[in-house]
Amino acid sequence: MTETLVGDEGRRLRYSHAIREALAQEMRRDDSVVTFGEDVGVYGGIWAVLRGLHEEFGDRVFDTPISENLIVGMAVGMAMRGLRPVAELQYADFVFCAGDEVFLKAATWRYAHDGAFALPMVVRMASGGSGYGPEHSQCTEAYLMHTPGLRVAVPSTPADAKGLMTTAIRSDDPVFFFEHKNLYTVSGPVPEGEHLTPFGVAAVRREGDAVTVVAWQDMLRRTLEAAERLAADGIEIEVVDPVTLSPLDTDTIVTSVRKTGACVIVEEAPRTLGVGAELGAVLMEQAFDSLDRPLVRLAMPDVPVPAAPHLVDALVPTVDDIVAAVTKLVTW
Amino acid sequence: MDDEGVPGGMEDGVRLRVFRIALTARRFEERITLLAKDGEVPSGLHLGAGQEVCQVAALAALRDDDPMLYGHRGTAYWIARGIPLDVILCDIACRDGGTNRGKGGVMHVVDPARGVLGESGTLGGNFVIGAGVAYAERYRGTNAVTIVFFGDGTSNRGQFHEAANFAGVQKLPLILFCENNGYGLSVPVEASTAVVDIADRAAGYGMPGVVVDGSDPDAVFEATAEAARRARFGEGPTLIEAKVNRIGGHWLADQQRYRSDEERERVRALDPLPQLQAQLVERGVLTDTDVAAMEAEVTVAVEEAVAVMRSRDLVAPSTVLEGLYAS
Repeated sequence: MTETLVGDEGRRLRYSHAIREALAQEMRRDDSVVTFGEDVGVYGGIWAVLRGLHEEFGDRVFDTPISENLIVGMAVGMAMRGLRPVAELQYADFVFCAGDEVFLKAATWRYAHDGAFALPMVVRMASGGSGYGPEHSQCTEAYLMHTPGLRVAVPSTPADAKGLMTTAIRSDDPVFFFEHKNLYTVSGPVPEGEHLTPFGVAAVRREGDAVTVVAWQDMLRRTLEAAERLAADGIEIEVVDPVTLSPLDTDTIVTSVRKTGACVIVEEAPRTLGVGAELGAVLMEQAFDSLDRPLVRLAMPDVPVPAAPHLVDALVPTVDDIVAAVTKLVTW
Repeated sequence: MDDEGVPGGMEDGVRLRVFRIALTARRFEERITLLAKDGEVPSGLHLGAGQEVCQVAALAALRDDDPMLYGHRGTAYWIARGIPLDVILCDIACRDGGTNRGKGGVMHVVDPARGVLGESGTLGGNFVIGAGVAYAERYRGTNAVTIVFFGDGTSNRGQFHEAANFAGVQKLPLILFCENNGYGLSVPVEASTAVVDIADRAAGYGMPGVVVDGSDPDAVFEATAEAARRARFGEGPTLIEAKVNRIGGHWLADQQRYRSDEERERVRALDPLPQLQAQLVERGVLTDTDVAAMEAEVTVAVEEAVAVMRSRDLVAPSTVLEGLYAS
């Protein structure tokens, strides 16, 4: 069921298949893992991430009605009573449909009951992208990162997609797992057996000394493309991927900025109070004396995501935007 | 009791137990009211007066550890499950010695081993969490029945629809137990709810809906026992609606300007607790002397709990960050 692509770098998998492989391996290993959501059974999920799992695991992969409060609320109840539920919300925008269960139950119930139970649950969501309209396109990670009690994973590579999913399922805390739509079909090397990526450990995706650029998911992809173009002009940027936003590895980001003295944060979400605003404040607190140029946030303007792809293109930071921002900082 | 720890049927021993627990809850909450008026504990408790007999009779029909998402009205749910009064009072007072150390206060008394799982502060959250609990219990083969208590007002939350529908689809071992006291805080049920009997909604979810007189512990027990039997035999969920009366206000500060003096008087006269007492005396299960002795015992137990609570420290601010994450 998993398409294996063999290339120079060994076994390669698509991002979506890597997530599926992690889930399947964990379901084989642990009977308490179940997965459910809208159209995830025979259909395999609208993003086809779960395709084939129902055939292998039967009722452990089950359809729900169009009931997001139920999907997340059931996950809370299951987790309280010994299961490790992995729920799918078709779009990351739907955290708002399930707001009570996301922000007031998954986030607060362990604390409210002083740790009387753990909440080992994962909520998978497809985020971002273009052409899906204002209610199906948002990258909602800032809202979740702002909420104490939740863990937020933002895998950017197929290997991390597998490794973070495995870690998420084994975590005893609620994990909100962002799957970027534009990355589902991206392939990369993925370890075949058990593979865990730790939470709270950022990855330096490219080393350099000119400027630190922090980005994740599709913005990381664009940043790495920008890095190639900048390198052709002799500008080597350092690219940091946070990997998880909660817990957040501020040390790696601060260390990089101490080296480069400048930072650009690239975000596929509205600028106001976005993840970039938080990262910028952290740098003011922890690396003020190292910053010798203004902090730059590349984010979307504060408007909803329109339906027309060409209008989305006008909002989301592009490779050109990143190149321009870095070039401006280098020549500051 | 049968071999699974469930009473075989309503009998005098069970009625007596229901009476004792309901009486304890009533006197306990009267004392808590005084403590709150004196400013010794926060006044967040929603009194259960008038609904205790119903709550305890329902729980008497279940196992002592069947999972429960309780309602916000009163302490009887926890007392029925054996949580000591002083522990409950420490939770209310935000002192050491409670179950949640000031994190959840009166809304989140918890004891998973006794099936006491919590309560949605936003009310409707109980339904969907309860569905997940019921699913997990069935998946793990525990044969447990999950009960979700809620009021008439909460039956209008969207989660009621989502959970009841899926419970019906999946035939989950779940009891949705509505205590209809006629008011959602100040709004009368006829102004908020399009049906007279909330149990009628069960038809929309492929489950039986049963209306019982919540002041009649026998009727409440029998309906709950039948719902539990159905659930344990894989026949699915049941919606029970018990018609009850709220003797006091929504909360301690409620002046009840929306209720006439006549109505409040009428409701007080319908109090199920003295009715049950009279019934037990009439049937020779209790004598007046027994009742007086029981009242005295309850008073002692309540005062002991107050003394324990007073001996405990307020939860230390140094613990405020604890309990958020498991790892």
